[in-house]
Amino acid sequence: MSIVIGVLEEGLIYGIMALGLYITYRILDFPDLSVDGTFPMGAAVTAMLILKGVHPAATLFLSFGAGVLAGCITGIIHVKFKVRDLLSGIIMMTALYSVNLRIAGKSNVPIFSKETIFENAFLQERVPASLQPWLITIILLVIVIVCKVLLDLYLKTRSGYLLRAVGDNEVLVTSLAKDKGMVKIIGLALSNGFVALSGCVYCQQKGFFEISTGTGTMVMGLASVIIGTKLFGRLGWVKTTTAVILGTIVYKACVSIAIAFGLAASDLKLITAALFLVILVLSNRKERKVKVHA
Amino acid sequence: MMMKKMMSREMKTVMAAAMAAMVLAGCSGSSGESTTAAPADTTAAIEAASAGEEAGETAGEAGDASYVIGIGQFAEHGSLDNCRTGFLQGLAEEGISEGTNLTILYENAQTDGGTASQIMDNFLAKDVDLICAIATPIAQSAYSATKNTDVPVIYTAVTDPVLAELASGDGTPVGEITGTSDKLPVESQLEMIRTLLPDAKTIGIMYSTSEINSESAIAEYKAAAPAYGFEIVESGVSSAADIPLAADSLLEKVDCINNLTDNTVVSSLPVILDKAAKKSIPVFGSEVEQVKIGCLASMGLDYISLGEQTGKMAAQVLKGEKKASEMNFEVIEQASFYGNNQVAANLGITIPAELADNAAALFDEITAE
Amino acid sequence: MLELNHIHKYYNAGTVNEMCLFEDFSLAIEDGQFVSVVGSNGSGKTSMLNLICGSIPLDAGSIRIGGKDITSMPEYKRQRRIGRVYQNPAMGTCPSMTILENMSLADNKGKPFNLRLGTNRQRIDGYREQLRSLGLGLEDKMNVKVGVLSGGQRQAMALLMSTMTPIEFLILDEHTAALDPKTAEIIMELTDQIVREKHLTTIMVTHNLRYAVEYGDRLLMMHQGKAVIDKAGEEKKAVLIEDILEKFNEISIECGN
Repeated sequence: MSIVIGVLEEGLIYGIMALGLYITYRILDFPDLSVDGTFPMGAAVTAMLILKGVHPAATLFLSFGAGVLAGCITGIIHVKFKVRDLLSGIIMMTALYSVNLRIAGKSNVPIFSKETIFENAFLQERVPASLQPWLITIILLVIVIVCKVLLDLYLKTRSGYLLRAVGDNEVLVTSLAKDKGMVKIIGLALSNGFVALSGCVYCQQKGFFEISTGTGTMVMGLASVIIGTKLFGRLGWVKTTTAVILGTIVYKACVSIAIAFGLAASDLKLITAALFLVILVLSNRKERKVKVHA
Repeated sequence: MMMKKMMSREMKTVMAAAMAAMVLAGCSGSSGESTTAAPADTTAAIEAASAGEEAGETAGEAGDASYVIGIGQFAEHGSLDNCRTGFLQGLAEEGISEGTNLTILYENAQTDGGTASQIMDNFLAKDVDLICAIATPIAQSAYSATKNTDVPVIYTAVTDPVLAELASGDGTPVGEITGTSDKLPVESQLEMIRTLLPDAKTIGIMYSTSEINSESAIAEYKAAAPAYGFEIVESGVSSAADIPLAADSLLEKVDCINNLTDNTVVSSLPVILDKAAKKSIPVFGSEVEQVKIGCLASMGLDYISLGEQTGKMAAQVLKGEKKASEMNFEVIEQASFYGNNQVAANLGITIPAELADNAAALFDEITAE
Repeated sequence: MLELNHIHKYYNAGTVNEMCLFEDFSLAIEDGQFVSVVGSNGSGKTSMLNLICGSIPLDAGSIRIGGKDITSMPEYKRQRRIGRVYQNPAMGTCPSMTILENMSLADNKGKPFNLRLGTNRQRIDGYREQLRSLGLGLEDKMNVKVGVLSGGQRQAMALLMSTMTPIEFLILDEHTAALDPKTAEIIMELTDQIVREKHLTTIMVTHNLRYAVEYGDRLLMMHQGKAVIDKAGEEKKAVLIEDILEKFNEISIECGN
């Protein structure tokens, strides 16, 4: 049972991150590597704030805000300074490494002894013992659902429509008399906000910040988004955002299975790549995207 | 119709991927056996683990039934490997040895925090009797994964358990978790350097900014150095790629270099040694392996004996003699001298008799890794 | 009134491949005029449209709309008053969004794109009516993704979407070229109908000489960055396809092919 709970917990935490990557990768068509820096940034901000005595729930919003800021900068580097998408992300990821060390003060900050959204006096008094093993999963589920619903709602607004349009057909956005660069910046900001929020939740659940946790965030997120959309995306009744979250859980389950079969962790990345490739190849339906050649 | 067809294809995709994963898992299982020091036969381990689930329940009563231990190691690295070897030796001395009444599940996180916590989930799912966590980040993962369970955790190679919040200020555990610390013997190291280099003034220390152990070690060196008449010059790097340049600039400024247990720096040590040798600047190590490959000397920890000590603690917990929460973490008291005669000769230094006579080991050649 | 004054445009400026496209090119288009532009490939037709819309920068000269200089205005800001339909039907719509969502997007042009709902429910019936006027049955497929529509259907939508909000100029960039003859005919008639209804100042680039002769009240023929034919009003009505063809052949001989 604990393995199921473990997979669910991991899947839900990284599911928030995958929602962010869904915005950049699927909607904006922007491979954003800065998430490798914003994920630990969310964790760093959280650890620092919790140590300063900020309420754990408030850190959720503050780390989201920090991610939004980082995403804006990636966007500005790309849009205003006309740096290629992948490179803007790499620049930001590199810079954030130092920024994260500055924020947290050091490379590893434990917050085991502090109250978090998962462990606090309020919950301890009110939650019956029978629910305790599922408590983290339930809290995570609530956070993930709130994120998902908010994102769904946003994508239905005028601004959300424009965001979807810019990844689909940049020319149309210009035709609508809107600055497509601005729309991209908004998209990147939102996306990195979700990623940092994911890092915040990760930090609170694991009980410590560690600088190395961001490595491979983007690849993991991409794998989750692709698995999710390919597996569940075409079931009419499953929204893409839901599919992405389910994809993350499937991905984490695969990793768990791989470990359970005695797979050396050194080969884990190879498995990720193989899984990634197999899914892409077997379901290579090219998305119809309009490329700009006006 | 169309939709169904698509779906079945998707399912095939997943199956194929899962199969690919299993095949690769199989391969790595067998190859891992021959390459790593840990004699963990993976497939056997799995069978034993599932058998252990049944056996485990009776273990408490029977006393000498078999145990399952999950060893999670944060990185692949000489000192940490030695910890693991020592840990198994320590258990064996207490009558718990692999193959007879002990099954080891060994996983290495390859410095990936996400993997570390999944390794822990996996251990819990396999109902291990005890988790051994080697190095700080994975010890923290182990602690947070086992918080709400009754699986004890024994850690080793955690430089500062208090700073890592694995123990309270007075050394008592924060839960069912205890172990050993590989705190560097700073004072005796400084004393040794002073004996070998009576005229030296500055000591250079290189560390990577991502490793918390190094930061606390540097702080300690800085505090202790003045008493021995030294000044510490530090140089932080963010990845192995920065080391050659950082080494060049550091070597301009210092009389000798002192090496910590910093994983990034240790793995690039040959580069530093090579540059230092060209300028005839001595490099001191923090443990025996570093002296073997060309450091002049070290008042070092013997990670094998650190592991042994850890193994004995684990044995006490497994046998039910003590609970993990009842034992404070332990530090190796005695640091011993290791020297390399070849390096000394190259530098034109003679290792004084007072050190040489008490040496735990003196090496007469530089072994390439 | 749209004015292009003394436009200079070079491609690959400063390299051995430098190519002069426009040298001191001027053109004025009266409000309400429907200009058809023909010309061989590379004659500067599409570049002229791109210069007007701001898709490419110009090297010298100025562009004015209603007396106001818009030369340095960014492309997206100019589009507020301009509707543009491209040759590629995919350029005017969003394939992964539904017909309804596409219509809403177009309807929101000029309004702030804020957090209000993207689709105003009260306007859905209006959209349906407009789609019905196309006569392509799109009004019954409001929740179908545009990506599955045919090129003709998409182009019809693109035309509808680009003229949905009040605009002053309609720019048609070979907008029937990628369609089969029958669909092209439908789209052309639709264009004429919309232009008349909304009294739009229109510039239509086309390779179809018949359309150029039949539609519009002014005809331009471009060659090497110059208007070699420019006829309006009664003069334009008298132009025959043969006249243009003749001029084409003349030009071709000049160029040596």
